[in-house]
Amino acid sequence: MSAPRRRTRTALYGAGTAALLLAAFIGVLATRKSAVDQQATSPLLGKVAPALAGTDFVGGGPFNLTSLRGRYVLVNFFASWCVPCQQEQPQLVRFAGEPSGDTAVVGVLFEDTPGPARAYLRANGGTWPALADSDVGQAALDWGVRGPPESYLVDPNGIVLAKFIGEVSAAYLERLVAEAEGAVGAPAVARSAAPTTAAPAASGARAGGPTG
Amino acid sequence: MNALLGRSAVLLGLIGCVAGVLVLGSGLRHRRPAVLRAGRQYAWLVLAGAVAAVVAMERALLTHDFSLTFVADNASRSTPVIFTVASLWSALAGSILLWSLVLAVYLVAVVVKFRHRSADPLVAWATLVMYVVAGFFFALMLGPANPFTKVGGPVPLDGPGPNPLLQNHPLMIIHPPVLYAGYVGFTVPFAFAVAALVTGRVGEGWLIETRRWTLVAWGLLSVGIVLGAWWSYEVLGWGGYWAWDPVENASFLPWLCATAYIHSVMVQERRGMLRVWNLSLLLATFSLTILGTFLTRSGVLNSVHAFSQSAIGPWILTFFGVVLAVSIGLIGWRGDRLRSPGSIDSPLSREGAFLANNVLFAGFAFVVLLGTVFPLLVEAVNGQQLTVGEPYFNQMTQPLALTLLFLMAIAPALPWRKASGELLRTRLAVPAWVAAATLVILVASGKRGLAPLLAFALGAFAAAAAVRQLVLATRRAVAEGSGWWRGIVGRANGGMIVHLGVVIVAVAFAASQAYGHRAEFTLQPGQSARLAGHTVTLVDPVRTIQHANRTSVVADVRIDGGPVYRPQVSQYFSQAGAAVGTPSVHTTAAGLTDVYLSLVAPPVNPGDPTVISVTVQPLIAWLWFGGALIGLGTLLAILPGRRRRPTAPASASASASAHQARRFGRDRREPTGTPRVPAGTRAAVEVPPA
Repeated sequence: MSAPRRRTRTALYGAGTAALLLAAFIGVLATRKSAVDQQATSPLLGKVAPALAGTDFVGGGPFNLTSLRGRYVLVNFFASWCVPCQQEQPQLVRFAGEPSGDTAVVGVLFEDTPGPARAYLRANGGTWPALADSDVGQAALDWGVRGPPESYLVDPNGIVLAKFIGEVSAAYLERLVAEAEGAVGAPAVARSAAPTTAAPAASGARAGGPTG
Repeated sequence: MNALLGRSAVLLGLIGCVAGVLVLGSGLRHRRPAVLRAGRQYAWLVLAGAVAAVVAMERALLTHDFSLTFVADNASRSTPVIFTVASLWSALAGSILLWSLVLAVYLVAVVVKFRHRSADPLVAWATLVMYVVAGFFFALMLGPANPFTKVGGPVPLDGPGPNPLLQNHPLMIIHPPVLYAGYVGFTVPFAFAVAALVTGRVGEGWLIETRRWTLVAWGLLSVGIVLGAWWSYEVLGWGGYWAWDPVENASFLPWLCATAYIHSVMVQERRGMLRVWNLSLLLATFSLTILGTFLTRSGVLNSVHAFSQSAIGPWILTFFGVVLAVSIGLIGWRGDRLRSPGSIDSPLSREGAFLANNVLFAGFAFVVLLGTVFPLLVEAVNGQQLTVGEPYFNQMTQPLALTLLFLMAIAPALPWRKASGELLRTRLAVPAWVAAATLVILVASGKRGLAPLLAFALGAFAAAAAVRQLVLATRRAVAEGSGWWRGIVGRANGGMIVHLGVVIVAVAFAASQAYGHRAEFTLQPGQSARLAGHTVTLVDPVRTIQHANRTSVVADVRIDGGPVYRPQVSQYFSQAGAAVGTPSVHTTAAGLTDVYLSLVAPPVNPGDPTVISVTVQPLIAWLWFGGALIGLGTLLAILPGRRRRPTAPASASASASAHQARRFGRDRREPTGTPRVPAGTRAAVEVPPA
């Protein structure tokens, strides 16, 4: 250590840059809400729910979403191969409540077929109507669903109140319903425009989906 | 009783941590060796607290003490004893408890191992850091992740038991503890890295000591990850084993960083270079374990594994911030003073290859990290929600993995400092021919697809290079009369066995991803279906079997006219509504093909057909075998091999090298503040295997 060697400052500058980036990263993480009950934005919010009709493969017979006007309906896109769907199932059972209550659940299949789905619903306590989507996934396209589970809360007037990506919890849904009930009398939402189709088709992104 | 015992034990552990920090802190401040020596004793207190807390929890679980919330939520009278024991790690609070126990064991191991050097400030700092980390986890258990809270209201008579997915396969009993042992083990090298930065002693001495700790943690994590993949394959029923799920990524990220470190640390030992980089890798590895815990336990990301979400998110995030601030602060403060003056002579050298390896592994880690947190970042920027799926990960990581396979083939053949073309030709000739032959044979036998064929050829290249090294080492050992087994023991040779394991895993991954088939068949009893050359026959109508804790619907399926396999779906009594499938797997000879059956839908009414999903994938069993080989290789790499310290002449006799080693053992204890002169020139004496 005779003559002081000229020092580079790579480590200092590197550390400074890393510190800034990571501080921003922590900031982002700190402001995230829990993924459960996470409400998503959707062009459908505040608009009339897209048409949803077809054959109910659980109960048999035709089904139309409009027949559930007057109740809060959770439209749940699901698949029998989807593990998070299975995990949220008890919450759906709780929210569905009594068949004559003021809340209801409707299942829509996402990249799945009625055969396995019927068994899945029976095994997991789902007695609500469930529809198979068309070959091209028209319902998923209309609603803007990218991967199960995704759910939409539709109010008694057929207006989409909220969209959820991932699991929902019954407690949170009930709170939303209570809030909406409390807000009755608030200015009615404009119903003019027909809902536009939202996101493009479902990608191959199915968490826990089959490979190979 | 259990709650009281447990809480007292957790408190005892926390007191041990705090006392250790205070005593060591004061000893370091006043430079009192006697105080430093006293400071290590508190580790036993921490261990006692952790053991007592785990015993209290296991006792509560086994005696069905439903007055504890954790027991009421995760135990049931109908759960078999073995899964009741494993319930400890089936939910958040218990897994933090397990974490604390593992950490306490590591803490005591460090204290015992370095007991003769406990007055050394570097060891004292490392111990102090471990006390702080352990203290954080004990504090978690007193606050937001308290496993010993009591149920409000009347004590339930029975509970739901663990999540059904966590109680229908024995792998759940060993996968989490092994994974945790690896995950938590990175605390030790982290602690030593912080200590080295604080004391400014980035010499090679402590590195040789912590290398082995890192290897232990790395080996356990590797095996833990493979066991997790196996569990998911055997339980989840979709025929896959890896889905780039946040929890999987959380364990994979530290693995990538630690793998980079294990390689680049050799450059530091031999050439004295990359010191700050190596420290950064260790700090990053530990930070990623904490980040992974946050991502998977706070509920910010949806995960297949989100078995336990709770309010500990802010705590862990704060801890992550502290760890990062300390790490980055230390690097920024000390880094430039500690950097070594040396530089790499030629890119075509062992150190050049290690550098490339590090760039690739860091890139790999970045790609995986980005994919994992991308949904969060996008949402923060423009409020949009999106998911990053397997296609992103597969496409982005494929070229990186292939390049790593290629490096794996040529790096062991490269000498330190500089390689000549002729040398490479001699050493790579055989592996290259093996690779070419593999490619020709596979193409001739009708295999197609660029990525898998590249993976197979490069895998063969890397495997042949590793085998070549092992053969040479074994021959040399025999020639020296020290027993053939010397050729597979030690860092370099054990490392080659690990390489073989990694190649096998990589080849199996590529093959199963590229050549898998999956289909669902609706069958009546007696009917058959064919998929990818295999015939499945539903033999009988499905049967319902009553077990003590569940009802199972079983399908008898004959594969290729041979034995009968029994995929089933079970409904656990204690878990209303949740049905869990148990796939059944037929593996052909040498693990070449797996036929994977899962019962998708039993008939609703008698006479209805049964829906069975069949997945045919090649080489799945090789994944598990490769994982075992990685574990074995790590074990062999940890065992002391031929003693060849950098300054030991390559031609030294066995007794002389043993003498050298002993001498060095003492030398390494020098508590001086100046880093040793890198032994680069002498290291060049090292004779490459010929």
